[in-house]
Amino acid sequence: MVSSPKIVTVALIGCGAVSQKYYAPALNALGKTHLLQVRALYDPNEDSLARLRQYFPEACGVRDLAHISMQGIDLAIIASPPRYHAEQTLQLLKAGVAVLCEKPMAGTVAEAQAMIETAAKTSNLLAVGLFRRFFPATQTIHTIITGRLLGEIESFDFSEGGYFRWPVTSPAYFKKNTSQGGALMDIGAHLLDLMQWWFGVPTEISYTDDAMGGAEVNCLLHCKFAQGFTGKIRLSHDCQLSNRYLIRGSKGWIQWEVNNAGAIHLGFTGAQLALKSKIFQTDPGKPAPAAGKPCYNFEQSFASQIVNIINALQGKQSLLVPGEEGIKSLKLIEYCYQHRRLMPMSWLSDHELITARHLNQQS
Amino acid sequence: MLKIAILGANGFIGCRTVEMFHLLNWAEVRPVVRNIANLARLSKFDLDGRVADGFDQSALALALQDCDVVVHAIAGDRRTILGTLAPTYQAAQEAGVKRMIYLSTASVHGQSPTPGTDESSPLSDRQVIAYNNYKVQAERQLLRLRRRGDVEVVFLRPGIVFGPRSFWISSFADNLLSGQAYLVNQGQGICNSIYVDNLVRAIYLVMMAKNVDQQAFLLGDCERITWLEFYRPIAMALGFDITQVPSVAYIPPRSGWSNRIKKMLDSKPSSAFLSLFPNKWRHAVRAARSALLAVPVRYHSSWEFPKNLPPPAPQATLEMTLLYQCQYKFSHQKAYQILGYEPIVSFPEACKRTVGWLTFAGFPVGETPDLKIHQT
Repeated sequence: MVSSPKIVTVALIGCGAVSQKYYAPALNALGKTHLLQVRALYDPNEDSLARLRQYFPEACGVRDLAHISMQGIDLAIIASPPRYHAEQTLQLLKAGVAVLCEKPMAGTVAEAQAMIETAAKTSNLLAVGLFRRFFPATQTIHTIITGRLLGEIESFDFSEGGYFRWPVTSPAYFKKNTSQGGALMDIGAHLLDLMQWWFGVPTEISYTDDAMGGAEVNCLLHCKFAQGFTGKIRLSHDCQLSNRYLIRGSKGWIQWEVNNAGAIHLGFTGAQLALKSKIFQTDPGKPAPAAGKPCYNFEQSFASQIVNIINALQGKQSLLVPGEEGIKSLKLIEYCYQHRRLMPMSWLSDHELITARHLNQQS
Repeated sequence: MLKIAILGANGFIGCRTVEMFHLLNWAEVRPVVRNIANLARLSKFDLDGRVADGFDQSALALALQDCDVVVHAIAGDRRTILGTLAPTYQAAQEAGVKRMIYLSTASVHGQSPTPGTDESSPLSDRQVIAYNNYKVQAERQLLRLRRRGDVEVVFLRPGIVFGPRSFWISSFADNLLSGQAYLVNQGQGICNSIYVDNLVRAIYLVMMAKNVDQQAFLLGDCERITWLEFYRPIAMALGFDITQVPSVAYIPPRSGWSNRIKKMLDSKPSSAFLSLFPNKWRHAVRAARSALLAVPVRYHSSWEFPKNLPPPAPQATLEMTLLYQCQYKFSHQKAYQILGYEPIVSFPEACKRTVGWLTFAGFPVGETPDLKIHQT
């Protein structure tokens, strides 16, 4: 990781589960390298705020976001519930603060567009927390696909989800009028981002889900791409799925286990042998090409998205996931919600199905 | 319209109960779950879901406010089975609930009941399977609570409840795929199955019935089927021949030295004693236990070819062995006479719907199998 002469000052907006599990340990580790200092914490919930204070005893608790800019903050990390992302991001960008906004970057494409425009107008950085792009595994897959090492892509099958265990702190997460969506908005934001990063924008989408007046718990997408190949995506907050992404090409296949930052499985068409590959950094110090240090793990990859935005602030690197990239998955999600149909559920009786279809259209 | 609260609404039976009651407009449904994350599965509906721990009477009383009926579908260990009854009953009393429907089990009569067993047969809490005893004790505890309270209690005793998200189905499917599936006695014992929709129908009938206070009802499907027939559609759907699934016998666990050490260290007094010591000491004891009980690794010579070792042979549990030996199909005559209960989904149709769920849940289901069953 790159060290900097100037310590970047950070405000953490929202001290709930994602901050407690990921941002706080990441910021804490980066703070020890004198790359940044967490100066302000914001959360209306006193308990959540107190938990984060244990990590950052010197940070002040801020009651009003307007006070953030007065603290001399360079970067705000928005990790509040998704329904506040747009409003808080806009407020902070206008106050002259760079923003790393958790996914999904907003509830609607219009909100996300406004965020991007405001970042441009105010000349502030806007990054989106689609941190899976920082995994060595997803980067390797990107290299393999864009380098056509699998030949022509023929199909893909992505399956992700299981029984929902995320330690949410408010039932609002699941309420129709306060949640931004269900499994598609939650897991799909990451998955659709990777899919479009690897393959581009699909030309046709067919989407079904099980929302019956509320948010989808299960959903199924079929995508078709301009090159002619198709992909299937299954997401769930209900059933234990395989949590594997499989990509088939004319020359071979890749299989990736969800959230395994440092390994992929790779096979070649017709071959009896396959690679179960652990990923290493290349070693530029050697005269001949060689694998060197181990690559980043899940946690380090998460932290490296923060390093990326700090480097961008210091003009050393461009953002890997700026707002213009983050909005792409949101556009697909919005399209899916606008064109939803009821997922086949064999266990519903004919009478139930009549109500279910009606409720699905109202969701 | 009546208002019904479902405790344990995120579980297999609770979830389907919420689904059917809501979609069929049988009542206004209020799902109640233990923690916020458990609301996820039900968030596909726009319902007034509440969070209340089954041990927390005041939280439950708030959650049950304005409800006419409460269904206790909380599953768990002994502590949960027995510890959530008094808080639920007293909360129901406080909230003015009229009736509590308790999901008991046909296993209160044992896994292999004597022919002729019915609701009037005496119950024992000295059975070999601890779960049966807890459920017997639960029914007795609720009857005691009823004597001091005003909320009516009704006990439903379903057999093997199956359907979408059922443990019986998903675990057998997982075991088939991992080579761990087994039958006992070639699957010739009787499976007292009940498709989940039939159980939910019974819950509805109990909600609507008069004069059912303190009654227990055995519930099942119409068909008399064997375990082989029960699992055949699942095996076929996943491309397995059920007759090729091994039939195994129950082998009681050996009481060797390692088992004795494990039992001693895992015992409650031992855990309580260890809790008096600092974390480091406790970790050291646990590490020593793991090292002592670790299976020795066999090192292969690098000259040996890698072998495709078969998975370890499946082992029958005592509970499954007893279930597979069952020779009696419970009658649901009492439920029919008092509640008007008749299964609304036939066994073949239930299998078809369940196989459909396997596809939905991502299991590698092939073509839809022919689901004709051989009625015995």
